[in-house]
Amino acid sequence: MHIGPGFLSPPVWASTAALSGAALAGSLVAANRRLEDRRVILMGVMGAFVFAAQMVNFPVLPGTSGHLGGGFLLGVLLGAPLAIVVMASILVVQALVFQDGGIEALGANILVMGILPALVGAAVRSLWRKRPGVLGDVVTFLGGVAAVLLGATSVILLLWASGSLPGSVSLWQAIAVMDVVHLLIGAVEGAASVAVVRFVLRTRPDAVFAGLPGGMEALSA
Amino acid sequence: MTTADRNTLLVGLAVALVVGGAVSYFASAEPDGLEKTQADLGADEARHGGVEAPPVAFDEYRLTWLGEGFWANAAAGVVGSLLVLGILLGVGRILGRRRAAEKPA
Repeated sequence: MHIGPGFLSPPVWASTAALSGAALAGSLVAANRRLEDRRVILMGVMGAFVFAAQMVNFPVLPGTSGHLGGGFLLGVLLGAPLAIVVMASILVVQALVFQDGGIEALGANILVMGILPALVGAAVRSLWRKRPGVLGDVVTFLGGVAAVLLGATSVILLLWASGSLPGSVSLWQAIAVMDVVHLLIGAVEGAASVAVVRFVLRTRPDAVFAGLPGGMEALSA
Repeated sequence: MTTADRNTLLVGLAVALVVGGAVSYFASAEPDGLEKTQADLGADEARHGGVEAPPVAFDEYRLTWLGEGFWANAAAGVVGSLLVLGILLGVGRILGRRRAAEKPA
């Protein structure tokens, strides 16, 4: 879902870059407060995994593929600040080394694939801390779908604000076309997120909720 | 680093390298949801001046001097995953060090 070079107008890419830059700076400050080694390790391997998983495009509709975003999953496992740091790192590497996404669109891509889904993931994270189990699975799945749709809709809004949608198409039509495809991609994102969250919570609950009060009690249920 | 951390690092990295280095070779080559939507809507032409990184070593997700095959893709998956891991462990270490420095000795 990377926005390529030339699709955003200067006001749009500049304002999203400023917003994402501020969010990234705030995330680094927030993460700095309490960062244990085990969370650094988890953050590193999850970043490598999300980068790799993004390379695996799966077919969704004829002539269309999708790939995981990962921002939602990271939000659940790491919380919003670290998830934003991880997604920003991945998107910078993708843009600079692999020409995936325009360099001027980096802030916008960090917003739609990093910040927004990470915030949805962080909301679901608090549920896992309080009440893990089947409810957690269901909410994680739905959260994954919602995070993808939120990002997809935002991309269309940014293209629209940039004047990059043709005049013959209304904003609502464009959002509908985008969101139908991303509903399917979101279902895969949601299911994959459930599987990965379950696996990591089973193997390293201490790293997921390290240093957070109430984390371990929540997992004993 | 504890044993659990080392295992997490090894298992997580192994999964990432297999997914990025091998599984991704069999990925769909169709345009992704956004590219397809842009094409369907007739917005597939970039209207503003944009900046794309030059293909120095990698052309998209292919190492240029390995051509188009499995190994060109594998190199992209492996290098990209290790690059992201390295950046994050570095950032994490800097953040952690600052925290350690604030602690009373």
